[in-house]
Amino acid sequence: MKLTKILLAVLLLALLVLPAILPAAMVNAAIQMLIAALFACAFNLLCGQGGMLSFGHAAYFGVGSFATLHAMNALNGEGLLPTPLLPLIGALGGFICGLCAGWFATKRAGVYFSMITLALAELLHSLAPHLSMLFGGEAGISSMRSPAWGLDFGDATQVYYLTLGWVVLSIALLYAFTLTPMGRLTFALRENGHRLQFLGYNVHRLRVLVFALSAMFAGIAGGLQALNLESANYVLFDMRFSAEVVLNTYIGGVNVFLGPVLGAALMTFFGNAASDLTQSWLLYQGLLFVLVMMFMPSGLAGLVLCWSAQIRRRGWLAVIPAALSALITAGLLSLAVVFAIETLQRVFSQDYQALLIADQPWPAISLFGREWLPGALLTWAMPLLLGLAGLLVLKLARRQWLRLLDDEPAAGPVALRSRVEGEQS
Amino acid sequence: MEFLTVSLLNGVIYGLLLFMVSAGLTLIFGMMGVLNFAHASFYMVGAYLAYTLQKFVGFTSAVLLSTVLVGLLGVIVERFFLRRVHKHGHAHELLLTFGLTFIIAELIKLFYGNFSVEYRIPEFLNFAAFQVFNTDYPFYRLLMGGVSLLVFGLIYLLLTRTRVGIVVRAAIHRPQMAEALGHNVPLVFMAVFGIGAALAGLAGALAGAFYTTNPNMALELGVIVFVVVVVGGLGSMAGAMIASLLIGLISSFAVGVDLSLASLFGLLGAGDWAQQMGGLMTLKVSSVAATIPFALMLLILLIRPSGLMGEKG
Repeated sequence: MKLTKILLAVLLLALLVLPAILPAAMVNAAIQMLIAALFACAFNLLCGQGGMLSFGHAAYFGVGSFATLHAMNALNGEGLLPTPLLPLIGALGGFICGLCAGWFATKRAGVYFSMITLALAELLHSLAPHLSMLFGGEAGISSMRSPAWGLDFGDATQVYYLTLGWVVLSIALLYAFTLTPMGRLTFALRENGHRLQFLGYNVHRLRVLVFALSAMFAGIAGGLQALNLESANYVLFDMRFSAEVVLNTYIGGVNVFLGPVLGAALMTFFGNAASDLTQSWLLYQGLLFVLVMMFMPSGLAGLVLCWSAQIRRRGWLAVIPAALSALITAGLLSLAVVFAIETLQRVFSQDYQALLIADQPWPAISLFGREWLPGALLTWAMPLLLGLAGLLVLKLARRQWLRLLDDEPAAGPVALRSRVEGEQS
Repeated sequence: MEFLTVSLLNGVIYGLLLFMVSAGLTLIFGMMGVLNFAHASFYMVGAYLAYTLQKFVGFTSAVLLSTVLVGLLGVIVERFFLRRVHKHGHAHELLLTFGLTFIIAELIKLFYGNFSVEYRIPEFLNFAAFQVFNTDYPFYRLLMGGVSLLVFGLIYLLLTRTRVGIVVRAAIHRPQMAEALGHNVPLVFMAVFGIGAALAGLAGALAGAFYTTNPNMALELGVIVFVVVVVGGLGSMAGAMIASLLIGLISSFAVGVDLSLASLFGLLGAGDWAQQMGGLMTLKVSSVAATIPFALMLLILLIRPSGLMGEKG
């Protein structure tokens, strides 16, 4: 526990000094990461803690965004709501929409719940372009950040600190919520709603409230997005964004409070970094998600916890060989996959296909700073060999990991017995 | 009158097409409790496979071949993906198929590019079947409807008149009991998943040539198919048929209706006031045609949560 606190403090400190180190373009990426992290954390309140899988959470994010923009235009940062407090309007918008939508959606559970959230989001998505009063039609609406509290919010650094403040506060609040009696009831909702009903709780009301709270924090994230981009249009309601938060959250791990934060921050970071390098980022994201779903349902955070538990039990030295071979496996396999996908992507791209001349060998493609001929055996043998090597090391890593786990029960009883004997003598 | 007839024909045939895709989905759901998000992706894969194969083997064999191949793909998905995560529960399976839709859509984009491909109806099928009010009615539409009806008939007979059908229905209602009686239930699951996928693939191969074949077709159709399945009642074949036709007709009629809420208020004598209100009031039905199925689904879930023909709530 102590270690976690120290790590969190270090992380917070790093986030505070970040804008001083990073170039301006990266500060913007960092803002995106923070917003995505908050959105995922809000989503996890509903799906991870409440056990209600929503496929339309982008709706509340979008509503928060639009509400904040309208407030920006109406108030000009004056009056009771100066610019830094504007995400409150996003929160309000998200909360009200969450109450209404949640009342419908939470009447059913399980798959039906997911379908209703999906339908509601799609309903909004297809209505929004026609409601130009609210959502500004196809073009969307835009606004300007007004100066407040002696700050002009002209550059990215000030927006970064504003976002950081809101995100840290919101995540802290979300964590505090899990400690309240209602937060505990939310967990109970996931585990067994029927039993909760028999205990005399009003399950439907509880579900609606959890839904609305989750939508409220999603609305804050949307409001921050509005402050950052100063504009929004109906594309925010797209299925794509709802899907993204689902992927991020599960890749991070739903059972650990900070898991979705980790997942969203990492995915947004890599998404930003990779968007210049590859056109297939979504494919990698999908592959990663399916891998997580199939082989480590507790997500990245579960993986971290698992390894740190081993380290605590056995010390660094015992864990290093297994960790090393696991890392090599991951490296080799991802290299193989990236190699194969990028080669295919380049060969099948329209630009490349236009270069082809009939009856002539296909020209080389450049990848990893080298030229590769699509006709050459090596080009296709590379990913295969890398993959095979990866699978071989995987076998080794698996055996080492199982050995680590196997030692465990043997150590347990022995330690126990010696303690019992010690007490007797 | 012309509008009525043509919309009726188009709506019925679009509904039959929807049925071909949703039949597999509703069967799989009824049996395994898995809402297969990737089902519409099978539809898309069918279209793209047929598009690729028809260059080599001709249209008819391409359609048949891609049906079989998509069926195999479905078997693979069930055997090597879904069965692995079965122990984690239905939500987990739903999420896995959700991830698969991403992968399939991105792979399609990788191989075929992020735009629609030139998949056309072959010349020998591209003629008018008959004339409606002096306009030609394409034979291909009738072909799609006919194939769908044929499929419905075959599945119905298979499920109700054969031994295999009895085992499948038993596996749907009481999987443990069917297994205890010595039937290989996992095999039945796999086969039904494969057949459901093959049906979606067939629908894609046929419809892809008539409508457009692009990487977004899975998502566009997928959401509508979910609506069909929920409205019809998850797990019910007849419900899927009724809901498909209903949604097909609604979508086909809605695009031609030039009315709005304001016209309704106009009947009550408050038309001018409604016109001034703007916003939702003056939205034409035709421009919000895409939203009507969702509204219908919400309505159904509120007044009859188990769907039109669903058994359990």
